[in-house]
Amino acid sequence: MRLNFNVNSETKELELNSNETLLDVLRNNGYTEVKCGCNEGECGACLVLLDDKPVNSCQVLAMSIKNKKVKTVKGIGTLFIPHIIQKTFAKAGADQCGFCSPGMVIASYSLLKENPNPTYEEILEGLDGNLCRCTGYVKIIEAVEKSAELINEKN
Amino acid sequence: MLPNEIEWYFPSKINEALKLIKRQGVILHAGGTRILKTQTKSVKGLVDIGGLELNYINEKGKSFHIGSAVIFGEIVKYSRETGNLKMLGTALSNAASTPLRNRITIGGSLKDFPLWSNLYAPLIALDAKINIINSKNTIIPIEDYVSKGIIKSKHIIKEIVVPSDKNLIWGVKRFTLIRFEYPLFNIAFSLKMKDEIIEDARLVITGVQGRYKRFKRAENILAGQKLNEELIGNCEKLITPKFIADYKYSAEYKENVAKVYFKDLLTEIAGRK
Amino acid sequence: MFKYVNKPIEKIDGLALVTGNEQYTDDFNFENMLYVSIMHSGFAHAVIENLDDSAALKIPGVAEVLSYKNVKQILYTTAGQGFPEPSPYDTVLFGRTMRYVGDNVCAVAAESKEIADEALRKIKVKYKRLKPLLDFEKAEDSKIIIHKDDGAFPKIPVYYDASKNMPSKVEADIGNFDESYENSPEKIDLTFYTPYASHCALEPHASVSYIDNRGRLVIISSTQVPFHVRRIVSHLVEIPISQIRVIKPRIGGGFGGKQEVLLEPIVALITWRTKRPAKLVLNRKEVFKSTRTRHQFRTIFKVGYNQDGKINAFHLDALENSGGYGSHALTVLSNAGSKTLPLLNKIENVRFTGKSVYTNLPCGGAYRGYGATEAYFGYGQIIDIICEDTKQDILEYYKKWSIKSGETSPIFKALGEGKEGVAMTVTSTSLNQCIDTGAKESDWYAKKKLYGANSDLNKNNRYKRGIGMAALMQGSAIPEIDMASAYIKMNDDGSFNLHVGATDLGTGSDTILAQIASEVLDTPVEKFIVNSSDTDITPFDVGAYASSTTYLSGKAVQKCAEKIKEQILKVGAEIFGSKIEEVEVEDNKVKIKSPNDSNSLEKISFEDICRYAFYQNNQFQIQATASHVSPKSPPPFAAHFVEIEVDTLTGIIKVLNYVAAVDCGTPINTTLAEGQAEGAIVNGLAYALFEDYYFTPHGKMLNDTFGKYGMYTAYDIPPIKVKLIESYEESGPFGAKSISEININGALPAIANAFYNATGKRLFKVPFIPEYVLKILNY
Repeated sequence: MRLNFNVNSETKELELNSNETLLDVLRNNGYTEVKCGCNEGECGACLVLLDDKPVNSCQVLAMSIKNKKVKTVKGIGTLFIPHIIQKTFAKAGADQCGFCSPGMVIASYSLLKENPNPTYEEILEGLDGNLCRCTGYVKIIEAVEKSAELINEKN
Repeated sequence: MLPNEIEWYFPSKINEALKLIKRQGVILHAGGTRILKTQTKSVKGLVDIGGLELNYINEKGKSFHIGSAVIFGEIVKYSRETGNLKMLGTALSNAASTPLRNRITIGGSLKDFPLWSNLYAPLIALDAKINIINSKNTIIPIEDYVSKGIIKSKHIIKEIVVPSDKNLIWGVKRFTLIRFEYPLFNIAFSLKMKDEIIEDARLVITGVQGRYKRFKRAENILAGQKLNEELIGNCEKLITPKFIADYKYSAEYKENVAKVYFKDLLTEIAGRK
Repeated sequence: MFKYVNKPIEKIDGLALVTGNEQYTDDFNFENMLYVSIMHSGFAHAVIENLDDSAALKIPGVAEVLSYKNVKQILYTTAGQGFPEPSPYDTVLFGRTMRYVGDNVCAVAAESKEIADEALRKIKVKYKRLKPLLDFEKAEDSKIIIHKDDGAFPKIPVYYDASKNMPSKVEADIGNFDESYENSPEKIDLTFYTPYASHCALEPHASVSYIDNRGRLVIISSTQVPFHVRRIVSHLVEIPISQIRVIKPRIGGGFGGKQEVLLEPIVALITWRTKRPAKLVLNRKEVFKSTRTRHQFRTIFKVGYNQDGKINAFHLDALENSGGYGSHALTVLSNAGSKTLPLLNKIENVRFTGKSVYTNLPCGGAYRGYGATEAYFGYGQIIDIICEDTKQDILEYYKKWSIKSGETSPIFKALGEGKEGVAMTVTSTSLNQCIDTGAKESDWYAKKKLYGANSDLNKNNRYKRGIGMAALMQGSAIPEIDMASAYIKMNDDGSFNLHVGATDLGTGSDTILAQIASEVLDTPVEKFIVNSSDTDITPFDVGAYASSTTYLSGKAVQKCAEKIKEQILKVGAEIFGSKIEEVEVEDNKVKIKSPNDSNSLEKISFEDICRYAFYQNNQFQIQATASHVSPKSPPPFAAHFVEIEVDTLTGIIKVLNYVAAVDCGTPINTTLAEGQAEGAIVNGLAYALFEDYYFTPHGKMLNDTFGKYGMYTAYDIPPIKVKLIESYEESGPFGAKSISEININGALPAIANAFYNATGKRLFKVPFIPEYVLKILNY
């Protein structure tokens, strides 16, 4: 069937089945920036914002989110208009293979929106649903700290 | 994978929802995190609770009424912003992960009660009550919900009623090696004090054989006493939680470390005055 | 000293990755594409008596079923290695004998994944169950023979004996170990165990294939070895290499797990037969169970030494669990010796005895560290034991006895990768400075004094603290075997196309190879358009393994860029009307070295150089290629210092601090080099403290999800400090060696040594889970 969804501030008709997860629906409709790492809600690669809250899209049944707003990493910043967080991540070396990066950016974006001056502990909690095997997290945490600094400077 | 042709229902009244789940293969959908893991081929229909107005946290007197659609993340946020429900908020802040806490609901987690649940121990320690709707509207202690098998029946959870922890001394602790893990057990203690004397104690562990246990013998020797090292030592001897071995840990190890954590938590609480 | 190299330059694909703009294999979709599902064996050891796919084939939307009934039983090895491979040809795509839970039974290709899964459920398979062999220590003499009469054979003339369940045996003997050991006043004889592990690359294995407009087979795959994929697919699908193109897009991590040709032949067969695109993406459970793992190892160390600490005799005996098939069996086994024993090269009597055995368990393959990680667990403790026993300072001990610049070890020649090893001399090391820096950063001496099993701090304390260290080495590429090449052409705006076969798994090799070319040509990294790992467009490279990309592929790029420089200077000289010796490159331009007033032109931009070459006179395309094979494998070195706290009531080990001082020669990109070290360290910590495969009594893996297997989040990491301590390796590009593997080797021995410091007890089995720790403490 086809239903209207609000993705990245656009209302679009997406193709879906009644049993599909939001991850499946997004990827099948061209939003391949949302990644699948485990399909079990354990790795965070599939993170999207649902009404501004980060969720594992592989654990959300698409039919249940009808009137909610979905944001993927491209709704936060794009290659030509990247968000400060994305620029900072790239500069800090917080992305190696990049597979966890969209999810990390979404988690960081949501964290910093809620809490523009997070403590170290609060950053760790904000990232507690995102796995990374390449970086050992060190530069990711640094990137979030730096992002907070830069966003606050800007404001 | 759920079967291809699933019917979705979006009722706006609880009675509607109740009628629907009485049908074969039709179940409630809250956050959906457990459905994808436990329910597959047998599901024919999903009843979404989003329209049932169960998303609220209301303070009424000395208790908090939390609607069953409230997500863990909301309780954590509420407890940090208002200073209320700190015990529950602390326990839930460790559950799963940030994105999962944005989907796991109180109702869904109560109905499911996996061994690693972070929810039950603090609720039992707080003597919380659960308001369920089947043929009628009933309010029962959380313990009865589990021990009397009501958890298995077809019903809709309206809300839980959680007494305030403001005048309690409490502690929560769970066993994990790393942050994102299914905890071996969760312990939660709450002590009602009058001056330096313990009026009432509730010591709970979940994850044991039979899902949960109140350390009633230890609670009894605590009542009427001052919390000191000797008392904690006497309590410890009465702690005999029984676990089932799994492929990672033996039952004996779990029992020993539960004892250690029990003592650690009581000692920690005793240190706070 | 350098302008573009040894700098923290942002990855050229960095912004594209963090904005979700890069494509991984599963992001490619084609019209009319088929989706593939695989049926895996639920039995550890069984023979398929019958397979009935008739019901499945009747389902609308099912295009093809592959099984032993319609797939030629061609033997090969899944190992992505140079040809002829040192791994035995003991695998077929879809055979009749299942050798581990996870082995391939059959595959279905259908219009959707749902239909493919449904079709799998309708395939009826009748098995004859056989007794599984699940204990690798009993494999050699077992009556259960895992490769029986299946024609499996070694591709090169190395040891292979399926009748003993032994896909490999490796030995090296230097001096007279027996006599020297017997005569040593002090003797050690200790056994250590390291377990299975999964790479847990966040992107699951994935491959897509299609037929292009001219009828050639194109494979897009999440692979570390595109050229080996092409060759092996040609072998299995029985079509010429010229008919196949393999492209590696972005990959979501590999760590060795994708140095294996597992999915590509399956999609290739389906596409070749149906002429339709085919996609196969494994789910996480399948990645855990049916792909490759780190080999389980038992290492026995017999060491004879004197009371002054001098080691006379050193015997490392290694037993490797290869699982159902022998990919990487010989090479991982051999590396257990070749990447450890040369570290203390002054030992006169050294013996290495290694055996690899088949079992009916998941298959070992390449995994970061590649045998060294498993051997360093015992090796690093042995040195600590000797130092504790002879009351020596372990830092001074390593400084005294470790291999120095200008020195060699007979092990280099004695232990190769199937062929004879390569004798070589170490020509760069800063290990002593690494040790000193690490000691300073970790406050080693003060902590050593403060801690100790009988210290005031620890004595009656439930929480005991300790500090431990280990010195490490690895290698850089496989000498005389691995080859890398590069191609560069210039464009008429002063930019360049840089084509390399080298495989970027997220390591950032595209970036660092551009940096190397930048440094040669004195032109910014942005001027290079990098294309990598496309077998039609990029020249050959063995792929990303053996820590070879910076050292080997980088050298090929350096040589190629030098040739380009020559051509640019030649054009510049022609334009200036001067001799080539009189001109040089500087900052995107060609200039006269010592200009005098009669020259009206002082500098010509690269843009003008190329325009001249394209359009004006003696026109030609400025382009060059170069290849590189290394006669040696210069080891990177490292010293790791770890501080821990042990809860003696629960057995939980908490890591308080981790310092790593690393010698990778010249770090081409300091941010990326640190990132490699940090990632490897965290992986090493997880391996030390909790990673393992838990099996049922029938050989089925139980903990096959991230949540059950255990993965660190940002929450769990201790403070980690990485210090890059430069040395200069002449044979490497601008002095570079390698860094990608070595740092995973430190956690096991350093934590174990810290544990001894804290408690006075030794750990012999990895992972150091709480129940095991308690057992050791209370023994």
